[in-house]
Amino acid sequence: MADPVEVLAQQVAERVVDLIVTALDVNALVARIDLNAALSNIDVNEILTKVDVNAVLDRVDVNSLLDRVDVNPLLDRVDVNPLLDRVDVNRLLDRADVDEVLRRADVAAVLARVDVNNVAARINMDALVEQTDLGAIIARSSGGAASEALDAARSQAVGLDEFVDRWVTRLLRRRHPGPPAPSALAPTALANAQPEP
Amino acid sequence: MTARSRPPGWVSAQGHYAGAVSRFVAYALDLAASTALFTLGLAATAFAVQTITGHPVSWSKSDVVIAVIFACWQFFYFGYSWAASGKTFGMAILGVRVVRADGSDLDPWRGFLRALVFPLSFLFFGLGFLGILVQREHRALHDLIAGTAVIYAWDARAARLRFLAREAEVGASGVPQDPVGSGHAVELPGQAP
Repeated sequence: MADPVEVLAQQVAERVVDLIVTALDVNALVARIDLNAALSNIDVNEILTKVDVNAVLDRVDVNSLLDRVDVNPLLDRVDVNPLLDRVDVNRLLDRADVDEVLRRADVAAVLARVDVNNVAARINMDALVEQTDLGAIIARSSGGAASEALDAARSQAVGLDEFVDRWVTRLLRRRHPGPPAPSALAPTALANAQPEP
Repeated sequence: MTARSRPPGWVSAQGHYAGAVSRFVAYALDLAASTALFTLGLAATAFAVQTITGHPVSWSKSDVVIAVIFACWQFFYFGYSWAASGKTFGMAILGVRVVRADGSDLDPWRGFLRALVFPLSFLFFGLGFLGILVQREHRALHDLIAGTAVIYAWDARAARLRFLAREAEVGASGVPQDPVGSGHAVELPGQAP
């Protein structure tokens, strides 16, 4: 059991400390301290060597920290061009595993965004047939006197149609020709009429 | 890739309004086909009646009944063809098709309506057909009434490919042979020459 006198002394001491703290103007005290002088006496490196940075970082919630960061003003202050000038793209590509990138890419989604009709319209079919074996394949699969005669008759008819139309346009002194195709077919007709590259 | 020569204009004609020559030739083919079928039908009927009854049957061109049947047959021939597929035999040969005025597919009833009002274009010395020549959308009187138009429907690009393929096949012999790819220079309405 504790000595009653010691207990009393403890209580008196605590009371005295309370009174001193209450009476003390901490701000004034801090103002009188030369912090620079105090810090100059501290070896920060020595302190840092004792800090387990990994343990500190483990306790940091980086996501929460990043949530509080407004990246846009930060990026506004960054001049990307000199940064990119310093990047050796070739070295970067040498290190990239393109196969892995392609494996992770959703090719179907990419293709869904491609206008295949537009791509096909830009293909120079004449050159394609001339420079590949495609011509021979088509000739063997679709050749025939009937289709040849039909193609010839139709193309000649269209040619004559255009000939007549040109003369009618001249006789009527039309400056602007009519629409080439009905409205619902206009996009298709225009795609067909696109000059090949 | 570079083109050896510019493809002829008809390659891009698919979907465009069909012109007078294609339509006239298609109609001539249809008239010949439908008349031939009708004549065959009459001959078959005469043969059947003669076989059954033993009396010879002869048809006269001036017979009103025959004329009425012929008119009905013509209406059926054109009306059914347009209602079913938008094209008759002759139109299929020439690669043209009847569509609605906006280019969408033809409703069956509109096909029959077109066949019903088709004779009106013959009135006044065929004045109704003048629209095919002078109207900006090449629509005749019966087209305007039925709300239809006639367009090129044949796959000209495939035809061009077939021509190039044939040319590639005979290229080694150096014998140019196909009139299709002769570069028949035609400019389409709205296209730069």
